[in-house]
Amino acid sequence: MDFGTGWANEVHAMKRTDSAACRQCKHFRNDAKHVEAALPGLSSLSSAYAAVRCDDGICAVHERYIAASSICPAFEEGYAYAFA
Amino acid sequence: MAEIAHTASSQLLKLRSPWGELFRKEDWWAIWIGLGLIGVAVAFFAGGGSIKWIAVAPQKWSHLSDVTQQLRQHGLQYAALFVLWAVAFGIGAAALGIKISRFLPAFLLVYLAAGGLYFLGQWDQAAHYNLEPPLVALGIGLLVSNTLGVPRWLDPGMRVEFYIKTGIVLLGAGLPLTLIAWAGPVAIVQAAIVSLATFGAIYFAAIGLGLDRRLAATLGTGGAVCGVSGAIAVGGAVGAKKEQVSVAISLVVVWAIIMIFVLPLVSRALGLSTGVAGAWIGTSEFADAAGLAAAQTYGGYAGSVPGIAGTPDAAVSAFTLMKVIGRDVWIGVWAFVLSLIATTRWERTGVQSKSSAAEIWNRFPKFVLGFLVASAVLTLVTRGFDYAAYKKEVVPALVAPLQAFRTWAFTFAFLSIGLTTRIREFASIGARPFYAFTIGVVVNVILGFVLSTQVFSGFWNRLGQ
Repeated sequence: MDFGTGWANEVHAMKRTDSAACRQCKHFRNDAKHVEAALPGLSSLSSAYAAVRCDDGICAVHERYIAASSICPAFEEGYAYAFA
Repeated sequence: MAEIAHTASSQLLKLRSPWGELFRKEDWWAIWIGLGLIGVAVAFFAGGGSIKWIAVAPQKWSHLSDVTQQLRQHGLQYAALFVLWAVAFGIGAAALGIKISRFLPAFLLVYLAAGGLYFLGQWDQAAHYNLEPPLVALGIGLLVSNTLGVPRWLDPGMRVEFYIKTGIVLLGAGLPLTLIAWAGPVAIVQAAIVSLATFGAIYFAAIGLGLDRRLAATLGTGGAVCGVSGAIAVGGAVGAKKEQVSVAISLVVVWAIIMIFVLPLVSRALGLSTGVAGAWIGTSEFADAAGLAAAQTYGGYAGSVPGIAGTPDAAVSAFTLMKVIGRDVWIGVWAFVLSLIATTRWERTGVQSKSSAAEIWNRFPKFVLGFLVASAVLTLVTRGFDYAAYKKEVVPALVAPLQAFRTWAFTFAFLSIGLTTRIREFASIGARPFYAFTIGVVVNVILGFVLSTQVFSGFWNRLGQ
């Protein structure tokens, strides 16, 4: 049995919110596995699945850890690393 | 194709739904699991029964033959308990996106190792040889992960925060709501004094050393509020650089692990009561899991180390009140205020953050709600019993089994801390962030000690009685 990235995410996270925010940007990645891999030690005493993280993620353009509601001129709509 | 499917579903993680939050964050799963267990326990108790058969726990032993006898007698119960935990945590892990086929084998090993540690803690000579289960779990985990290495297939089973949050929700069942209402305000006052002083010390030391404001704020919140969780919450809110968040995480983890050993050791040397030591640990430790390891260790000294007053549970209770109620719940406020300052006062970064008061709720550590509900439920259920009846009927049938569940959950977490801490993978810290954070550690520890042992000592001593 494999639930992929999480059935709860797939069932409940379909709603599109503010357009042109980082959460829709191809340079932004905020899935928990990626965040934990990018920030060593995070899972030792906390977690990328924690509520305090909200939907924060990593911007590949600015190399910053940012809120998903942020905006910037480098925005490009698309799926992060879709065909990389 | 598989990559496209994976990426598309990853993209869904970026989108947010208010109701999806209830199933895609481990805080909520800790609530569902913790309150679910409490609900079943209460239902059995109300019907005149108990869940104690499945809430099996090692008993005191003197010789290895006692252990084998316990295992022979209760082997089926231990197997059933594994199935219960595997189902509960497995469903939660699957919803979070962890492959259940990878979670279960890893969790089996965690369960077996935790069982071994639980048994070790029940050895009648354990205290004599300083073999407190949290410290042994941490020590063995650190040694293995930093020498032999831990196979990657074990990673899915080592969810420190998932286990510790579930344990904290279960802990709520052992703390009457009246006690939380009585002690909560004092905890908030003490924690506020220390949090503000520690944040100020780290932040201004970092600025004085020429560090970036966003790094200063991330370090400050990591030291002052809730450790790694505080660092990632504020790091994201202010838009810190990725490596700045990594530096803060590394510093918090290193100091938190040092403090797991130092705080109980110093408290023991000074003969602090369990309530006072728990309050000090709650004020001066940096993370929930680390602090609970230290507090549970110290609670274990009560009754076994001469000169340490107070009940074993008082250390964990005082720690939880101080850390969870006094510090953790304010992380959303810190994140909101600092994001407001960052967006209006600090230099621009190329990314524009949106500061909103909704941040206060969005970043609220939701598992605290489960802790409070658990406390309210048990307070309601037990309100009709006098003290004698409570001891005779409620404790063995309802409270003790829930305590056993809690100890299991904490032991899973303590073991996982050491096994997931791979120091060689940490970000290079640099001298200036280290100095800034260490100044905050000194302020935090001294101030926390003075407040716990002098200013509010009478209060924390009473809690331990």
